[in-house]
This record gives sequence, C-alpha cells and structure tokens, in this order.
Amino acid sequence: MHKTPLAGPVACLLSACSVAAALATWQALAASGAVAPELLASPAQVLSALAEILREGYRGTTLAHNAAATIGRCLTGFGLAVILGVPLGLLMGLQPRAAAALGDIVQFLRPLPPLSYMILLILWFGTGDGSKVALLFLTALPIIASAAMAGVRLVPRPRILAARSLGAGFWQVVWHVVLPSALPSIFTGLRIALAAAFSTVVAAELLAATDGLGWMVLSASRFLRSDVILLGILILGVVGMALSRALLLIERRVVHWHGRA
Amino acid sequence: MAAPEPPHLWPWRVGTIAVLAVAWVAATGSGLVPAVFLPSPADLWDSGVDLVTEGYKDRPLLDHIGFSLLRVFAGFGAGALLGTALGLLMGWRGWIDALFAPFIEFLRPLPQLAYLLLLIIWLGIGEAPKICLLFLAALPVAAVAARDGVRRADLTRLAAARTLGASEWQVFRHVVLPSALPDILIGARLALGIVYGTLIAAEIIAGSTGLGWMIVDAGRFLRSDRVFVGVLIIGLMGVALDRLLVLAEHRIVHWAGR
Amino acid sequence: MTHTISRRGALGGALGLGTLVLGRPHVARAAVKPPINIGYFVETKPTNIVKAQGLLEKATGQTVTWTEYGSGAEINAAIVAGGADIGFGSGSSPVAAAISQGLPVWLVGLVDNIGPAEELTVRSSAHIHSVADLKGRKVATPFGSTSHFRLLGLLKQNGLTQKDVTVIDLRGDAIVAAWSRGDIDGAYIWAPAKSKLLADGGSVFKTWDKLDAVGYVIADTIVARAGFAEQQPLAVTALLKVYGQALDFYRTQPDEAAKVVAKAAGVSPDVAAADLKEYDFISLADQLKPDWLGSQGKPGKFAEVLHHTAEFLVEQKSIKSAGPLATYQKAIHTEFLRQALA
Repeated sequence: MHKTPLAGPVACLLSACSVAAALATWQALAASGAVAPELLASPAQVLSALAEILREGYRGTTLAHNAAATIGRCLTGFGLAVILGVPLGLLMGLQPRAAAALGDIVQFLRPLPPLSYMILLILWFGTGDGSKVALLFLTALPIIASAAMAGVRLVPRPRILAARSLGAGFWQVVWHVVLPSALPSIFTGLRIALAAAFSTVVAAELLAATDGLGWMVLSASRFLRSDVILLGILILGVVGMALSRALLLIERRVVHWHGRA
Repeated sequence: MAAPEPPHLWPWRVGTIAVLAVAWVAATGSGLVPAVFLPSPADLWDSGVDLVTEGYKDRPLLDHIGFSLLRVFAGFGAGALLGTALGLLMGWRGWIDALFAPFIEFLRPLPQLAYLLLLIIWLGIGEAPKICLLFLAALPVAAVAARDGVRRADLTRLAAARTLGASEWQVFRHVVLPSALPDILIGARLALGIVYGTLIAAEIIAGSTGLGWMIVDAGRFLRSDRVFVGVLIIGLMGVALDRLLVLAEHRIVHWAGR
Repeated sequence: MTHTISRRGALGGALGLGTLVLGRPHVARAAVKPPINIGYFVETKPTNIVKAQGLLEKATGQTVTWTEYGSGAEINAAIVAGGADIGFGSGSSPVAAAISQGLPVWLVGLVDNIGPAEELTVRSSAHIHSVADLKGRKVATPFGSTSHFRLLGLLKQNGLTQKDVTVIDLRGDAIVAAWSRGDIDGAYIWAPAKSKLLADGGSVFKTWDKLDAVGYVIADTIVARAGFAEQQPLAVTALLKVYGQALDFYRTQPDEAAKVVAKAAGVSPDVAAADLKEYDFISLADQLKPDWLGSQGKPGKFAEVLHHTAEFLVEQKSIKSAGPLATYQKAIHTEFLRQALA
C-alpha cells in the first residue's frame, strides 16, 4: 500500500461524520413532510420501531430469531457451496477433462439471476428451508468454483513439477502446492460469493417464509410499515457488512503469507 | 478464458450435455416427472416457438429482450462509470475513502429486493427505479475494485514519478490509473454479473416488459415451460455478455500494457 | 409420500446439479397426527379468526403450521410442491388456473363473494366518468389476481385493449406508493390498499355489478391439496367446521370479531370492521346451494364461474388450455362441506 489510508481514529471520525450527516438529511427530509410519513419514516420512528420489535418482536417473531434464520440460511447455502465448490473448482483447474465436462454448466449458472429459477426450486425442493438454501447454494457455487479453477491456473507449473519429481503424490501436490497458491484467488471468490448469497437472501424469503429479516421487510412492505422496512434494511446492511468483515478476518488468518510469496 | 481447449477434450464437453439431455428426455418421457416440475423437450420447443412467433403478452420476444438489455446497459454503464470514478478518488485520497466507505460497504451486500418499495416511492414506476436498482447494484462493486486497484499501485514507480517532478494529476494519470486498470476491469466484469443477476428484481417493479418480468409472470401461472425458456435465454445471454466483456477487457489491457 | 420422494429423487438425479442433498425429503412423521400446513393471507376476514383463536388446533389436536403467502398463485406453487395442504382464501382466478393445468387442487369451500370489495378506484381529479375516459391512462393491479381478471374483463366488455389503457403489474403496497406519487390514475385492488387510495383523493368507479352480470364473478375459496384431502378428510372437514364457527362469531358479535381480525392483520378495529363489511361472506349452508357449489350430482353455478375464468385466462395466454365444464365440476368437492354441516 503506497499510502497509509488515513490513520484509524481520523478515518473513523470522518466516517462517523458522514454517517451522521446522512442521518440528519434523512431526518430533515422526513420532517419536511415532502414525503408522506407512511411512505418514509423518520430515524426517530425507526428507532421506536426497533424498541417495539425488541420488546414484542415483529408479528410474533423476535428480531433475534429472524436474524438467526436469515444468517443461518445464508451460511448454510454458502457453506455447502464452499464444501462442494472449492474441490470442484480445483478439480476443474487440474483436470482439463473435468473443466471441459463441467465448465459449460458453471458458466451458464454464474450469470443466471437467482430469482429466475426460484419458482422451480420451490417446486422441486418444497416450501421449507430446502428451496431457500438451494437458491443461495446455487448462487454461490459457480462463483466459488470459477475462482478456485482460476486459482489453480495461477499455480506456477514448475512448482508442481518440482513437487512431483520430489516424489509427492497427487493429493500431496494438491494439498501442499496447489491449494496454498490458489488460496488468494479462492478467497476473492468466497468474498464475492458471500456477498452474492447474502444479497439473494431476501429473494429466498420472498415466498413461503415464516421468518427471517427478508420476510420481515417484505411483510412490512405489504402493510406499508415504512419504519419496519427501513429498520430491516439497516439491519440487513449491518449484518451483510459484518459477514463480509468476518470473512475478511478469516482470510487474513489463512492467507497471511499472501503477498510474501 | 485461457487458451482454446485441445480438440481431444470436446467429447467430454459434448458428453455432459448429451448425458443431461438424455436424462431430461428419459425423466420427462417416462412420465416420472410431471410437466409442471420439468417440462419435456417438446413442451419447451413449442413454448419457445410460440414465444418467438407470437411474443409474450402483446409484445414480441425481441422487445422484451431489448428492454432487459437496455436496462442492464444503462444501470451497468452508469454504475460502473460512477463507481470507478468514486473508487479512484477513494483510493487516491484517504479522507474521501473515509467519507464514502461506510455507504459503499453497507450497500454492497444489501439485498436489492429489500429496498424495492422505497425505489417506487422515490422514483415511481417507470424506467427510473429499475435502472436505479441496477445502478445501485453495480456502483459499490466497481468502487471497491477501483479503490483496491489504486492502492496496489507500485510504490517505487510512484516515488520515481514524483521525484521526476510530475504533478499530482500526471502521477494519477500516468502511474496510478494504468496500474489500477486490471482491477477496474475485473470490477467491471463483476459488476456486470451482479447487475445481470439483479435484473429480475428490477423488473418486478411495475412490470409488463422485459425477460425478467416475463419469467415472473409465467411463474405465477406455474408455466414451467415458459420459465425454462426464459431461464435458458437469460442464461445464454448472460454468458454472451460476459464473453463480450472479457473480449473488451483483453483489448483494453492489451492496449494499456503498452 | 413415498411417491413424492421418488419423484424428487429422480428429478434431482436427472438434473445432476448436486443439489439433491438439499432436497428435504417429506418423511411422514411416525406420530399419529401429522401437522396440517395451511397457506393463508393476512387479511381482514374471518379466516384470520381461525388462526388467531387457534380453532383448528383445538378441534383436531394436530399441529397446524400457518404460512403467509402473497397471492393465490404462490399458494398454488406451494400446494404443488407439497408445502401447503390447504389454501385458505385463494382467489377464483388462481384456482381456475390450477384446475385447468391439472394441478392436484380440490376446491372444498368458499370464503366470500368478492362483489364490490375489489373495485376500480380512480383519482377524483382525473375526471374519469366513463370507461372510455380510461383511454391513455395508467391503471395498476396485481397480475394474476381476481382484480386483474375483472379489470381485463372490463376492458374487453367495453371494446378496449391493453394498447388503449396501460395496465401495470403492481402489488397492493406498491400501488399505494405509486398512487401517492401520482404515477397512476386508477387501480383495481382490494383493502387495505383500496381504502388508502380512497382516503388519498380516490373515488370508486363502480364496475362490479355489470361485470358480475356478464359472468365476471370473482370469489375467494378454500382449496385443499388432493393428496391431503384423500389422506386426511377429517382435517379438511374440521377446518370447514371451525371456519363456520368463525363466521358465526362474526355474524353474532361483529365488533368483537373485528377486534380479533384487526389484531391479526395489524390494523385498527374500525378499519377491520369497515373492511369486513365490504365482503359478502357465504355461510357454509348457502355454499351448498345451486347458486354456488351445489350438491352431489347437482353441480352449482360456481363451476361455470371457474370455467369462464379459465377460458379467459387462455385468451390472455396465461394458461395453455382450459378443460370442459366437467373438469371444474369434478374439482369441486362438496362432501367435506356436507360433513361439516352434519
């Protein structure tokens, strides 16, 4: 990094100022009456909605339960995609035959809008968590697999050959040579995939959901509770940020040698 | 994609598709899977022919495709341009980063469907909310990519340019921008993918046009045949768009490399 | 159940997407009393009394899972997917579509004759006094709904097409938002959105009586998944019975009922009371009369309503084909109603 991004405290202060400015603008807009309060709640109203929901839950479901349901679905779908996608991508990177056989499917799935096949997943996997997790899984899988495959292609061939000539078996090569070199690329893919899965989570809760933050926002939309809608958006945004940050922390731990190679 | 694949691999490629096709024909032909779960190839063909010749709900299929593409290009174009500009500034000046980073980070994983109603309240039911939704999907991705690209600029080259008396603008234009370019292009490709993936959500707003709306509308009546045709079209178009961008990327990087 | 599993299994294998692991097998519980999955709408109707007071749970002793849906079309999907056993309040349009497509849906009862409860609301300042005045205007309605069916019927009856009037697909909440911005001049919709438009410079443009007279009758119904109705006929009967109780409660103590409904739907009791009055809830006994479902061997007029609706949906190219009248007569199962009344 050629220039230290602003020192911690200063940057934090500046960020806090800009967030405060945004909140003030919002408050002023809501107070001005330019938009019907029914359609745009003020920050104060959102706060009181938060208090109300913390106290009584939203339509019988606690906030913690909704948050847990959403995070759980997201992480399950994402986790399954990691478990399947990383080996799949590595295989495709190492075995041109596998890449030829599966590449088209991955390429087709990757840009496909998840909402387009939501109804099919409901028909196939039912209205429970199965279809919701499947949606998030299918959103994350092709991204992770492509990233892992691209990562393998970055591994210097001589290194593989050297390991081979030193008597390393296939699995040893994968574990000790390929995976470490491919990790940075894999993690880039994981970050993108997690963001994609999280931004699809409301779509997953669009149909036949009885809980979740997405359900809460959509249900509040139906009743035009703009305070709850805005609250839900804020919570979703914060949860999304937290998940990305958490993944970044894991990445720093796992790929600490990245950049030194 | 990398070098063209060696010819001996094509059987694998064709093989998978053939296996899928045979499984599909067998599953639907045997009556094991009802058409509502998985339409047969014949259903799909009929439905595709009907869409091409008759259109969908008073509009030719090409119109729907055109509407969708226009929205994608408008949202992606605006989002990628503005996002890249913002990201460059954020990478270049720490205080700009501090000011905007909270919003960018907040917006990036935020599910677009959550703020659909707000967009209708603010922007109405025309093209504006649809394009804005796509714009908001592209913006943070492009911004983060450009910012990281700037931050990766080579220290020594930067110092060299400065000691040679280059102005800030010259350093930015001739050192920072070229070295950030690969990241910007990767970001652009990523943003296009995300915009494309958000298309359906955008077209749910006050629909009556677009491929995304067509799929949603067909899904309402459990017309799996039309949903399938729609998914196939939208998937193949997505692959084509991605390829197009990769091609453009190669051109630009090739040029920038000199 | 085993059929469901094998079908899903074959499908998952056929797709080879590796998503099979996610397929949640619907393994029947060993318990004597399996849960009842009800798909419903949060709305100001006696249907919500059944949920709020736990009537079905008390009557059957079974676990009842209530899942909220946004439209009858969504409930159709859930029924096909095996995720909903009962659609409690599905509109006649989605039900007609489901029956036409051969989905395993049985119509076992009615909730209400919609009548004036869904109606065209126009902006008073737009000076729309005749149907012809709608030309060049934007009118919103949720596509696939009973309101959509009526609106298209209105245009057709008056020789207009969707080229003359811009018909926009919006859900109730979005209609209120678009209305408040002045983006639309009219909307064909039900409460609570309708009441909000009326309170915000809207006026009723009466269309329902003439449309009803020429066959555009719309109603809300109770449907059951065929497999569920066959396996658990007593549960279906019990549901109709408790719904009858909820109706009686509303008839005898409308104010108390409005309070219960208000709480369930998150509106004030006054609003709930006003909304409830809009609908013509059909008593279980009346449902068996020739005007509605009819009795065994003597199918009522409602099959014709479904048939007509289906033919219209075919004209709109929403569904591929409609069956003959007999298809709809066969899909109406009145035996549960009779047992509930016995």
